[in-house]
Amino acid sequence: MIQLEQVSKLYGTVIGANDLTVELSPGAYGIVGPNGSGKTTLINLLTGQLRPTLGKVSVFDQDPWRNRKLLRRIGLCPATDVLYPNVSAYEWVTYQVRLHDLSQADSKQFATESLAQVEMTEHMHRPMGEYSLGMRQRTKIAQALAHRPELLILDEPYNGLDPVGRHQMTQLLVKLSQQGTSLLFASHVLHEIEEITSSFLLIHGGRLLASGTAREVEQIIADTPQEVVLTGLDVAKLIPHLADQTWVDSMQLLAERTELRIGLRDPSNLYHSIADWISKDHLQIDQFQTADSNLTAVFESLLRHHRGESK
Amino acid sequence: MNPLLVLDVVRFELRRSLSPGRIAIWGILVLFPIALVTAIRLLSNRALENTEDWGLALYFLIPEVVCLLGLLLWATPAVSTEVEGQTWIYLAMRRSGRNLVLVGKYLTAVLWSCSAACVATTACVMIMGSAGGLKLWFVICVLSLLSCLAHAALYIMIGTIFFRRTMVVAVSYTLVVEYGLAFVPAIANRLTINYRLRGLLADWMNWDTARTVTENIGGQESAWVHVLVLLATSTALVAASILRLTWTELPTQQEG
Repeated sequence: MIQLEQVSKLYGTVIGANDLTVELSPGAYGIVGPNGSGKTTLINLLTGQLRPTLGKVSVFDQDPWRNRKLLRRIGLCPATDVLYPNVSAYEWVTYQVRLHDLSQADSKQFATESLAQVEMTEHMHRPMGEYSLGMRQRTKIAQALAHRPELLILDEPYNGLDPVGRHQMTQLLVKLSQQGTSLLFASHVLHEIEEITSSFLLIHGGRLLASGTAREVEQIIADTPQEVVLTGLDVAKLIPHLADQTWVDSMQLLAERTELRIGLRDPSNLYHSIADWISKDHLQIDQFQTADSNLTAVFESLLRHHRGESK
Repeated sequence: MNPLLVLDVVRFELRRSLSPGRIAIWGILVLFPIALVTAIRLLSNRALENTEDWGLALYFLIPEVVCLLGLLLWATPAVSTEVEGQTWIYLAMRRSGRNLVLVGKYLTAVLWSCSAACVATTACVMIMGSAGGLKLWFVICVLSLLSCLAHAALYIMIGTIFFRRTMVVAVSYTLVVEYGLAFVPAIANRLTINYRLRGLLADWMNWDTARTVTENIGGQESAWVHVLVLLATSTALVAASILRLTWTELPTQQEG
């Protein structure tokens, strides 16, 4: 469905995408990365809004920059808000579908159906200026769905949705995925994506750091040197235990001896041993922070792996 | 390009632009020449009985001022407002979105400005009384339409080249080229739209003074040459804008 061959995108001297190579079959994928990591650049390359500086982008075996007819098969829900204050969601979505050269009757029917899918039927004739952020978000998703695309690309689709809205959106996306619509779902919140798919692309600094299932990514992280941070009054008393271990690379005692940063080559050894040490010596340790609990740390670990620093 | 789709774009653009602010601007554009013509009529010591004097004033006020002001407001920011409002991506994601929306916005700008010009012309000719007349009304309306078609294409083109500070560029161009260069008696003034409009006014109204001034400033082309050049310029500018927009990477949103 999607092929990127050594794709780079430069904005002057700034790199938006850096040597991306990936091949995706039809299915659901999450694009995970912190803000500014290049998710939107990747989406813009896939939708033909940007031309790659180097490399080749192919969607459904066609170049999206050169072949705009391809857009009929792609639906995009961008991260940016939309506001035409005196136009209703029904008018706007109908207009958007009509721009795909569908007949007026079909455009109206498709718009009505997609607005119903996102639970906007009741409000669809009200001007968009009266909508809440969540309602505008649903409307954006409706315009992406309305022309029945084969590939649906969503950039931060949960923005502005309340918990009920998030649940409904998850249900809708799972249903679409089960019905055969391919999904590409960008977010900086990992668990949002995990509810819909277990396949990820992890992007940072415009580079594709890892791709695969959550388990495969976990394995990469486990094989990569990473940092664990312990906080508590007794963290210094762990140093004698750690100093003897071959899998410890470095230790750093900070914050008036209440924070210990440990550089590890294999964190699983620490996970096996630390509970015993704490229990045996009756140590007060308040917090144990691993790379898994912090997305930035995950990306730092993956960046080290990407640079070839894994063992 | 499906003409029915273009009409749908025009319909949507008119629908979304029917806001109190835009209607007020349209009203100001209509009232501005009416107020000036009324003032001249009431305050002038010398009654302007001469159709040529009235006609030249009306021509300057409507096809050269009202039309240009309206188009600066409606045609120039056609693309930049979508880019700045971050709504361009929604249009660009449609199969024919870029081209259709550009042509639709162009026609909408022509409709808004030309309607204001024609309403203002009608009211002004009525205020002018015997000095006006059906012929003057018809000529000014046709010149307004040609002015709108050509200037809108020009401003749309400027808007597709300069996404930022579009208005500054368009106003500067208008002042320097359309109001400045058009009066310079040199071949370069034939590249301006206002030169063609002035030539048409003199020709169609058979005004000796205007004709002499036009011939001194420029050449002696026939009315048909002026009309053809204006229509060809409009078409070429719109086509160039479409090409430019089709192959331009417009900023879609903040990079994430």
